[in-house]
Amino acid sequence: MNKITETYNIFGKQPDEVISSPEVSKEPTARASGLMALYFEAKSSASVEFPYWYSRRWAELDGEIPIVRRAEALKAGFEHLTPVIFPGELLVMGKANYLRGSYPMPWLSESYFMAAEDVMYQEALQSGKLSADKVTTWGKGGGNVTKSEGNVISIAGKFGIRKEEIPALLRIARYWKDKSVDDVGHKYEMMVPAYEVKEALMRSVICMFDSGYTLPQGREVMNYYYPLQFGIGGMKSYCGEMIREVAGSPDMDRLYYYKASLLTLEGLEQWFLHYEEEARLLATLEKDAKQKEEYLNIADRMNWLSQKPPRDFYDALQLVWSFHVAVLNEDAISGLSPGRLGQVLYPFYKRDMEKGILDRNKAIELLECMRVKFTEIDCFASMGVVGGVLSGNTFNNLCLGGLKKDGSSAANELEMLILETGISCATPQPTLSMLYDEKLPEELLMKGIECTKIGTGYPAWVNNQVAMEFLVDNYGHEGMSMEEARAWAIGGCLETSPGSWMPLTLDGVEYYIPGGSAPATSVGVHFLSLPKLLEVVLFDGMDMRTGQRVFQPHGFDLDSYDELWEAFKDYFAQSVEVLTLCNNIQHDAWRKISPSLVNSMLKPDCLAKGKDIGQKGCRYNTTFNVEICGTTNLVNSLASLKKNVYENTEFSLAEYRDAILANFGYKTAREIGSYSLIDQQPREEYMNFKRIHKLSQEAPKFGNDNPYVDEIFKNWEEWYCDMVHDYRSLYDEPMYACQISVSTHAPMGAVTLATPDGRLSGTTFADGSVSAYPGTDKNGPYALFNSATCWDHSKSQNSQLNMKIHPSAVKGRDGSRKFLELIRAYLRKGGFHVQFNIVDSRMLKKAQADPDQFRGLMVRVAGFTQYWVELGKAIQDEVIARTEYEEV
Amino acid sequence: MENTCKDCCYFLAIDVFKGMCKMDKASISHDSLACGHFSKIAKCKFCSKYKQETEFLGICMDQVAAHPDLVAIHCDSFEWIGMN
Repeated sequence: MNKITETYNIFGKQPDEVISSPEVSKEPTARASGLMALYFEAKSSASVEFPYWYSRRWAELDGEIPIVRRAEALKAGFEHLTPVIFPGELLVMGKANYLRGSYPMPWLSESYFMAAEDVMYQEALQSGKLSADKVTTWGKGGGNVTKSEGNVISIAGKFGIRKEEIPALLRIARYWKDKSVDDVGHKYEMMVPAYEVKEALMRSVICMFDSGYTLPQGREVMNYYYPLQFGIGGMKSYCGEMIREVAGSPDMDRLYYYKASLLTLEGLEQWFLHYEEEARLLATLEKDAKQKEEYLNIADRMNWLSQKPPRDFYDALQLVWSFHVAVLNEDAISGLSPGRLGQVLYPFYKRDMEKGILDRNKAIELLECMRVKFTEIDCFASMGVVGGVLSGNTFNNLCLGGLKKDGSSAANELEMLILETGISCATPQPTLSMLYDEKLPEELLMKGIECTKIGTGYPAWVNNQVAMEFLVDNYGHEGMSMEEARAWAIGGCLETSPGSWMPLTLDGVEYYIPGGSAPATSVGVHFLSLPKLLEVVLFDGMDMRTGQRVFQPHGFDLDSYDELWEAFKDYFAQSVEVLTLCNNIQHDAWRKISPSLVNSMLKPDCLAKGKDIGQKGCRYNTTFNVEICGTTNLVNSLASLKKNVYENTEFSLAEYRDAILANFGYKTAREIGSYSLIDQQPREEYMNFKRIHKLSQEAPKFGNDNPYVDEIFKNWEEWYCDMVHDYRSLYDEPMYACQISVSTHAPMGAVTLATPDGRLSGTTFADGSVSAYPGTDKNGPYALFNSATCWDHSKSQNSQLNMKIHPSAVKGRDGSRKFLELIRAYLRKGGFHVQFNIVDSRMLKKAQADPDQFRGLMVRVAGFTQYWVELGKAIQDEVIARTEYEEV
Repeated sequence: MENTCKDCCYFLAIDVFKGMCKMDKASISHDSLACGHFSKIAKCKFCSKYKQETEFLGICMDQVAAHPDLVAIHCDSFEWIGMN
């Protein structure tokens, strides 16, 4: 038989000894260590507190102007949040009244957390909205509440909620039926011609999820300028002045916007003051003098920040965190990135260090506390979204490096400390990205290498120049200059996001700090499974897994490769067309029912224009995209069909269809409980398909610098990156390409039959967009780089390359130098992004077998770092299977 | 019915299973029996304006849906039973 060996995915010679710990290991401060111990004990917990008060106030205001009604509801939510402060915390505030707290937002969508037998759940299932949930698996360990226990009910295998809150949650959910963004959007999206195709795309999981009501915000960069410069009080004053200025004038929407912003700020103010009260209460109970003093300091700080701009670095960090949480609490959000935080906070850091009121140790302690707080963030959404896409991660990406407004290196010593604390306090959040530019100092780059080598997968390495080129190309018509493009950062795991330079004045000195100036940069068509789409092409519009028709027959005989390619493009275009229209409707429902208020007031130029994000208040609004998954398996499959069917005529397409339906004679991944090609087991009939499977596997594979397959890849990329511009977003702007897999390559692989490249049914796709399929990149990293860069990456919002390198290959100072040169080589070729797992795969297998011994182990998936024990098995299998480079 | 920690103003919830006592930082669960320091936290079920309808549902001021374990420390209408 054609045995798939355990070493097929090794490039080079694997050392005999298993390496289980990083070359460099640093300990966090005692404070952060204590807080992380508490974090490791905590389970993901949902609360009904915020949704209750939000819904109650909303219901009271029937007939009010929608944006004002929304603001009143948000205000009520913030005003009634129970404050929780844990011993040892220096930074306080969280999403809900638990350490890993979150809550459902039924005003967005309410059916997914209903009981499976509930009619609302069944209706959602029928429309295809919950199809991804059905094929998603969670990690069984860590903080996931995988089953109900005692007085705790498990929702979606992830969140625990108290039994006594369930009836209230269901009552609130039923209140929102036919009022939520999901339901209202659905009513109107059904008016789109070919809507039935959209439902079929969802049911077949060719498309993963609707973006308008699941995660309507996120994948964007925060802008902390206004609170840092003016404080809540200053922002309130501005809104008050503007209300007086615009009341009764034409364009009355501005009046309602400023009133809504003012109400929201009042809610935030009370939220701060309630934390002050709680800190004072704790101080009265506290016997330890140091802890008592810290509680009193927190109380004073929260009181001050409830009105005024920050006085120092500590204040500034607290305020940044508070507003970060405030935005997270207004919508279901993933990928809300702090952006270039080390540059945003540098003026405060620099001044405090010069004044001698801050030292390195204190700064490190605060930054470690920040890492813990970001790691506590959970997002409550459907299982398909939180599990299938996010793997429980929330993608708060902190960027380092890049350039200043004047084009010089933006690196600073605070960024060195951010990297240092990323090493000493290694946590999944915030993940780090290095905006690589040739102008960056070697010191910062080598620190980045030191950090990457500890095995947590951050910083990812991103090409500054390629990103700026993309931004000028796509936002130039909105005024984006090269100077402004320099303010960019990554939103979410890997979404290039526009920024702006904001003039922060501190002690009379003006600093231009970067911050996001666009709404969510990754909404629209999410995600399209390319291998599944090819499968449907081969079966003339049918999804053979479910037996349901997705498209009308394409009408092509498929008797030439060109016809196959045309048929694929046709189905892809049909998918983009209908999904764009439906998502535009959903986002329109979102902006009308649940407009952004907290985020809007932070983003230039919403406050100045008097328009929220949904009314194009932001400076840049070309932010919808078409997101794909499974590029490598598509390209390898096309190469295999081209070679085996059309050129060498080894097999007919009919024979390929039979082999696909028979899974090349293998058992399915679900049958054997493993989603990696390594583990698949043949059936007796394997011999009937041995030759076709062998030739499929031997067909040219992406990642080897092979022009045959790279040309197919290049053709795909050039067509796809161009065709998406023909579709218009809700804001009447052209859409752009986005290619990151996040975790979708697992559930999308799970529903896809065997593919013509030899991949077997149900197994996970290759990750990222330019990663090789595990075990198929045989010619070393530089060949992989050549293949990956055979097209122009600046034509897409991103590309994504994941690599796994054995720790021994980059050991020591020389290893670090080689490692940096490897990264440079890729980025200089025009690669947009590369990230690494520096890990011994054998250790990951041990961790899979004995997860309790590896609670703190983290791996890089696709744009994010996550605790191993909180990943679903399909993703774990895929990470283990990735090609491991023993030499660079 | 005996008092449990989740109804105490000194209970600090870590998650839906457990928490700690604000007085001495002892680990406790939501459903632990309360100790001698027990002091009620404002919740709907302790409010004179709340009427129970079912075990976990009720009504506030005869008009608004509410539920017994909702924390009401920041509710302007809260009034302890027996205080008016």
